Amino acid sequence: MTLSVTTSKHREEAPEGRVEDKRLLTGKGRFVDDLKLDGQAYMGLVRSPYAHAKINSIDFSKARSSPDFIASLTGEDLLKEGVQPLSQNPWPFQKRAKRYHLAVGKARFAGEPVAAILVRNKNSIEDLIELVDVDYESLPVVTTIEESKQGKAIVYEDWGTNASLTSEVKKGDAEKAIASAAFVINAKEGIARQVAAPIEPHAVLVAYDGKQDAYDVWATVQSVHGTRDKLASELKKPKEKFHVRVMDMGGGFGSKGAQSYPEAPLACIFARRTGLPVKWTATRSEEFLEAAAGRDEYCEITLACDENGRMVALKASVECDSGVTGSQAHMPTMTIETMSGPYRIPNQDITVAAYVTNKMPLGPVRGAGGPEGCYFIERAVDSLAKKMGLDPIEFRRRNVSRREGPGEGEADFGLLLDTLVKSSRYEELSRWRTDMYSKFRQQGPSHSSVLGGLGVSVTGSNESEDEEEEDDWSGRPSGGAGAGAESKPWQTGGGTGEKWAGQPSGEPKAAWPPGGSDKPWSGKNSGESAEKRTWPGASEETLGFMSETARVTIDKDGKVKVYTGSSPHGQGEETTFAQLASEELGVSLENVTVVWGDTVLIPRGIGTFGSRSAATGGSAVVDASRKLKAQLIAKASEVLGVDAKSLDMRSEGFVRSSDPDVVLATLSDVLLKQRADEVSSSSVFTLSGLSYSSGVHLCALTLDVELGKVKIAKYVVVEDCGRMINKTIVEGQLHGGVMHAVGGALFEKLAYDDQGNLLSSTFMDYNIPTALDSPDVQVFHQITPSTVTLDGVKGVGESGTNGSYAAVINALNDALSQVGTGAEVNMAPATPDAIFRALSPGGVKALPPA
Amino acid sequence: MQREKSEAAKVSMNVNGKQVSGSVEPRTLLVNFIRDDLGLTGTHVGCDTGHCGACTVMMNGKTVKSCMVLAVQARGAEILTVEGLAQGDKLHPIQEAFWKNHGLQCGFCTPGLLMSGLYLLRRNPDPTDKEIRRSIEGNLCRCTGYVNVVKSVRAAANSMRKGGEGGA
Amino acid sequence: MTPKSFDYYAPASLDEAIRLLGENDEAKVIAGGQSLLPMMKLRLAAPTALVDITKLPDLSYVREEGDHLAIGALTTHDAVEHNRTVKERFAAIDDAVVRIGDQQVRNLGTIGGSACHADPAADLPTALLVSDAQFVIRGRGGQRVVPAREFFVDVFATAVGHDEILTEIRMAYAPPRSASAYVKHSLREADFGIAMVGAAVTVGDGNVCKDVRISLGSAGPTPLRATSSEQHLKGKVVDDENVAKAAELAVEGADPPSDVHGSREYRLEMIKALTRRSLKLALGRVK
Repeated sequence: MTLSVTTSKHREEAPEGRVEDKRLLTGKGRFVDDLKLDGQAYMGLVRSPYAHAKINSIDFSKARSSPDFIASLTGEDLLKEGVQPLSQNPWPFQKRAKRYHLAVGKARFAGEPVAAILVRNKNSIEDLIELVDVDYESLPVVTTIEESKQGKAIVYEDWGTNASLTSEVKKGDAEKAIASAAFVINAKEGIARQVAAPIEPHAVLVAYDGKQDAYDVWATVQSVHGTRDKLASELKKPKEKFHVRVMDMGGGFGSKGAQSYPEAPLACIFARRTGLPVKWTATRSEEFLEAAAGRDEYCEITLACDENGRMVALKASVECDSGVTGSQAHMPTMTIETMSGPYRIPNQDITVAAYVTNKMPLGPVRGAGGPEGCYFIERAVDSLAKKMGLDPIEFRRRNVSRREGPGEGEADFGLLLDTLVKSSRYEELSRWRTDMYSKFRQQGPSHSSVLGGLGVSVTGSNESEDEEEEDDWSGRPSGGAGAGAESKPWQTGGGTGEKWAGQPSGEPKAAWPPGGSDKPWSGKNSGESAEKRTWPGASEETLGFMSETARVTIDKDGKVKVYTGSSPHGQGEETTFAQLASEELGVSLENVTVVWGDTVLIPRGIGTFGSRSAATGGSAVVDASRKLKAQLIAKASEVLGVDAKSLDMRSEGFVRSSDPDVVLATLSDVLLKQRADEVSSSSVFTLSGLSYSSGVHLCALTLDVELGKVKIAKYVVVEDCGRMINKTIVEGQLHGGVMHAVGGALFEKLAYDDQGNLLSSTFMDYNIPTALDSPDVQVFHQITPSTVTLDGVKGVGESGTNGSYAAVINALNDALSQVGTGAEVNMAPATPDAIFRALSPGGVKALPPA
Repeated sequence: MQREKSEAAKVSMNVNGKQVSGSVEPRTLLVNFIRDDLGLTGTHVGCDTGHCGACTVMMNGKTVKSCMVLAVQARGAEILTVEGLAQGDKLHPIQEAFWKNHGLQCGFCTPGLLMSGLYLLRRNPDPTDKEIRRSIEGNLCRCTGYVNVVKSVRAAANSMRKGGEGGA
Repeated sequence: MTPKSFDYYAPASLDEAIRLLGENDEAKVIAGGQSLLPMMKLRLAAPTALVDITKLPDLSYVREEGDHLAIGALTTHDAVEHNRTVKERFAAIDDAVVRIGDQQVRNLGTIGGSACHADPAADLPTALLVSDAQFVIRGRGGQRVVPAREFFVDVFATAVGHDEILTEIRMAYAPPRSASAYVKHSLREADFGIAMVGAAVTVGDGNVCKDVRISLGSAGPTPLRATSSEQHLKGKVVDDENVAKAAELAVEGADPPSDVHGSREYRLEMIKALTRRSLKLALGRVK
């Protein structure tokens, strides 16, 4: 069955290249470190070399003797100023981790800032950092979950424990179902601590206006509003005192998002105290030491199915090393809530526990718990299929949720799998694999033999056709029950899978001062109220994760400006949002400018992360544009004395829908007559439910058995992100997302010694894929329009990452299974050393004879 | 012989066709001279150890990582940065190719990639995909997965074989 | 990220460079800088003076000199990579140089710099050892030539004295029916080797090994010769069995580290695997 793809205006009219590219290609991008203010001074951070140590004293006298020294700050100084601890927004069942921008009393991870200095010369920063004498008294450290559980050291004394979070997902009776299942597998899986590693390090530039007691802040952040709100609460000043801006940003992948970092507030304090603009740019080592890390989750899983291969039970216990935790450590809950993915498994018992250790905070890294969840189940699915002797694709076909026809649910997984088989030329790949196996058996390992492995994964939601089944969910963490909202897993523009019911019922809040006549968005589910889970730094009006703002203006020359709360940093919204407005308003793309990243021009917004921008931000743009068009038509109707219902708008002017070639009046005529220079309309759009991207991945790789070396030969994704505003941009997101996880599956790991010192603090020791390590990624599409976003768009930023760990590691294990020793690798990264160990203690010796 | 005390050294070189000079410390990196002293911020700094390649420029016709060159070592050199590629408003074929083939997302690693790509094509006008990938091995990108970067360099190769660097 | 302060000199002659080095115990030579500068930026090295020898004339060349190839110390990796004689007659060097870093590094990095930096995980030292290179060193007292087996002394340390400069590397042409190879196993293509093995063989009548050299990288503080393997193979028929035995023996004397890039046990196994592969590759090239 082929889905009839509704033609999308968007796709037909997608521009040849992005709007933002011209300046980025000619070196005229405006990244924070590019900015320079006269007389700017440079901040340097003195970092603890110990993972856990008391700070007895800090002596700046040597540093002070340098002519480049300007000022200093310690944690005690911050306390004296009444600075509040680093913002946190722990979910209700997580403990608050109190830390300050500079360590107070003790340092809790190697690299934690303990003092800050301000220097005159950029070249002198590290010279003066070295001159600051800190007297530490090292303390016992906890560097693993085991150590943390044993309580060898307590990271937060007031907790009395290192356990920071627990959550669970329970349904039916998993124990019972496992006991009577036809096939059961158990596995221990995990993904090591990994980082986002955007190529642009964090940076901030602050200028202080003494007269206004106000701060101009440019920062590498995924949400200027979140940053503004954090500054306000941490420095105890009104929000209006902070003008936070970002222009171009060199990637974020979550690490420049919700995490509370110390640099912006510290720079503000220095700027105020000295009157000088203050600049700080992280070195790459600092980036490794302090930027929020991700993954570091381990899972013991039991998966069971009946004799037909239908899964009956999923039991899993996940543990997470959350470092010193950060303001956004919801990843472990995301993992368990998304783990069942697109499968309908009637009995589930999934628990998660996170522990704090003496490592940098854990934060969202592309996928933020989702890739982990998908990996845990997809590895287990493969193992179970193998145990049953069923083809892994067929096994999945028997378990993905069904639907009757196009337009229902979030994706047709059966069709996705069919398309994957066809597009990847799966049969050819199977023959390729068989050929290599034959050669391997003939020649044996002494001939540098290579085996082929095929691995598949599915990402997406486990929508339920049966509403009653939904109600069986119990023991979930606090949250409301919004009627009709689909359950969690792979959501975009969503949250942790709490059942959001969209905007609370009642009066809409006006999004903007004069201009918009905002009717409430009454999509689905506006009746029930759910617990409002506020995003860190959400404004007082409690804009949530499911919301975004937009204001669209048009002037008499037909120039349109789109002000969005989103914050593009590579995802292309400067183009895609312009496309949306251009299509809604009928103006040409070159007349549309997208504006973002400015808390004065855009007073309210949420930002770009969690695959939300096209879904929430895009919907807000469409909504505001439609409202604007309605306004303009209303004005034209007044001026022309023609019924608004019969009017339409073109780039040339206003026409009758029935006779579009005759322009009745131009835009400028109408605005002139209405005495308006500009008309604007705005939207605060809130999704009435979650919106998921789905996809299936296939990885074909070769394994040089003797060396344990993997090379990916082919990678195919069939994805469904609903309607695509710009297909090329969607594919770019998939390419990058996949590669991020390829790195995580094969190469990347933050390594520590037993004292908690980070050993991987350069790109030499932390290995992200280069062009030579990266396979070509082929992307195919299906379109199941979202039913909760305007125009059916879903977000796609993380989809590539979600499925790739599983596809790669499944393929590796497929290759390993052919060696015949029962070797398995379930931990990522699957480095050659790890593969070697799995193959046998003796390596090559234990391989079967030819 | 040139002999500089650590405090100050005079440097002059040709950057994008223009003679420039400045006063730096011997330890000042070429990339910082380019960014801070010359105000050419198109060349970026992404790491400490010369692995990311975001700082790649051409020095005397060869790609180098400008964070791994001291400004004093570049005295008298001819430097080409990303700002020197376009002719006024007219993009260089390789810039055009990256634009048309979505060879960039956040744009931070892009200037370095353009340099590496151009260097390859000047030496090898019809490279294989493997050769393209090898030529950009020293340019890390976290956004694109390199797929469209390779496509862009290939498109630039096709375009430059037809019309040279004046554009097709 | 910023090195500590230093004085900078760009001498116009070798003698001047040598004199400068003699005047300052903490001065260091800088050539391409692709190994030294990252260390200085991380502040793992902090010379108080740099003597830039890149402006010295006549140190960048590849010359065929009768019975040997002479490569000037300042010859860049890229120049070595594109040299026909190196490709045809010193395959191990060719195999190694194409694996060094990336294009940008190869454009500035020099063969002399790599040799003098003496990182046991770098590609050229292992390949130079298996090629039995000779190192021409100039000092105050004149010139001396040091064979590869004495040149690499310790991690980051060579036979080059503080006020001496390496000027040339010489490699004798191999006799007929010889070939060499260098293989490297690394996590990513661009990385330092988890294990590297160079092999150079000369085959005589009856497919008997007349001469063999095997070098190991990332197997100790300096590149090593796998002498047990060599002794086993010399005089024997180079069949699969003898090659496999030589591979097993290659770990004798090897002392690879355990670090984030690979454990010791793994590296020892890889030495064996790569020794076999390198020998087979070299033998396959023998004409």
